[in-house]
Amino acid sequence: MSDQEHPDRDDDVVLAGEYALGLLTPEEATVFEERLANEPDLRQLHAQWAEDFTALAEEVSPVTPPSRVRKKLENRLFQKAGQSFWQRLARSRLAGAATAAALALVALVLVDLPSTGPMPPDDPVYHADIVSEDGNLVVAAGYDDTNGELYVERSQGAARPGRALELWLIAGDKPPVSLGVLPETERARLTVEPDLRTALDGGVFAISDEPPGGSPKGAPTGDVLAVGEITRL
Amino acid sequence: MSKRDEIEAMIARVAIGDKNAFRQVYSDTSAKLFGIILRILDDRSEAEDVLQEVFVKVWHNAGKYQANGFSPMTWLIAIARNAAIDRKRRHGTKTAAAELDDSLPDAGPGPEEKAVQASERARLDACFEELEERRADAVRRAYLEGESYAELAAHFEVPLNTMKTWLRRCLLSLRECLTR
Repeated sequence: MSDQEHPDRDDDVVLAGEYALGLLTPEEATVFEERLANEPDLRQLHAQWAEDFTALAEEVSPVTPPSRVRKKLENRLFQKAGQSFWQRLARSRLAGAATAAALALVALVLVDLPSTGPMPPDDPVYHADIVSEDGNLVVAAGYDDTNGELYVERSQGAARPGRALELWLIAGDKPPVSLGVLPETERARLTVEPDLRTALDGGVFAISDEPPGGSPKGAPTGDVLAVGEITRL
Repeated sequence: MSKRDEIEAMIARVAIGDKNAFRQVYSDTSAKLFGIILRILDDRSEAEDVLQEVFVKVWHNAGKYQANGFSPMTWLIAIARNAAIDRKRRHGTKTAAAELDDSLPDAGPGPEEKAVQASERARLDACFEELEERRADAVRRAYLEGESYAELAAHFEVPLNTMKTWLRRCLLSLRECLTR
């Protein structure tokens, strides 16, 4: 790699390195960040530098921060609004639940479910309403213990164009496990692998925004759009 | 599961608002990040403020983590360095050396991680060896102390533009060596 062969690329290699070191002026950094958002090659150059330089941080000895930092953080993040993310979520869901139940009843009376396609379980053991914070994505899920299938019904919202919705199961402290990509149809049945079934108890469902076919990694790569706690019926 | 995968999984859980996962990430990484911030700021109370800021960012931005292609520690360190450097530049130059006598040394990484870190470090060290000593030192100071071009120029007693030329050449040689 020489200046003669790849002058532009060399400039970007240097610029990405300067950015990773924090040497750019605020104005230069802003311009660079705008380019980062649109240029995957530049993102890669930057990520490379950041990874390489991380090795330098090894010589820095860890210093345990005083416990007041943790306390301040807890207050600031989890108590400031008087309620947590989960509490807010549960509340908004409860408010919507009565309406949703009423609507569901109407729907059942007025429209017969199509006789073909996935049907809700007769006697679901677990249920969850997976709802986004703004209420624009609503997916109900019911688990059928007789065949280990999860019935999902999307009543509100859809995947963005060219993207997919992927459903995740999270148990306790474990990392999310994919249950699969939601099909474009509103109703679907997904098989829950036998070793995952116990994880439903007290678990949480989450839906993330993913490329078509689902996350290429074992974990969500896009925004988490909606979450829902699983309740035993 | 390696520590890296563990932290990665925890960040994925923080992204969906899991407070316990957040507390775990804090327990696992705050000492390292605090060390890095202290090195840049050299002021305990400022460093505590910045550490708090960093974890507020982690809580709010965990959902964006997977998209940027960084390993979890690199992502966390980048947030910490940026916040510390921002603070430092806003408040002028480094304050006098702070007293760190009440700081507790922390348990370091396990043997497995040490081996991985050691090999990455060895690769970087080998490339630093190829650089002229003072120039390699400039890159280190920029990274670890968060020094600006002006501060580096003052430290090495060279004009600002010379400093910039040095460092930029240095980065090109480093990249060339690291991709070899």
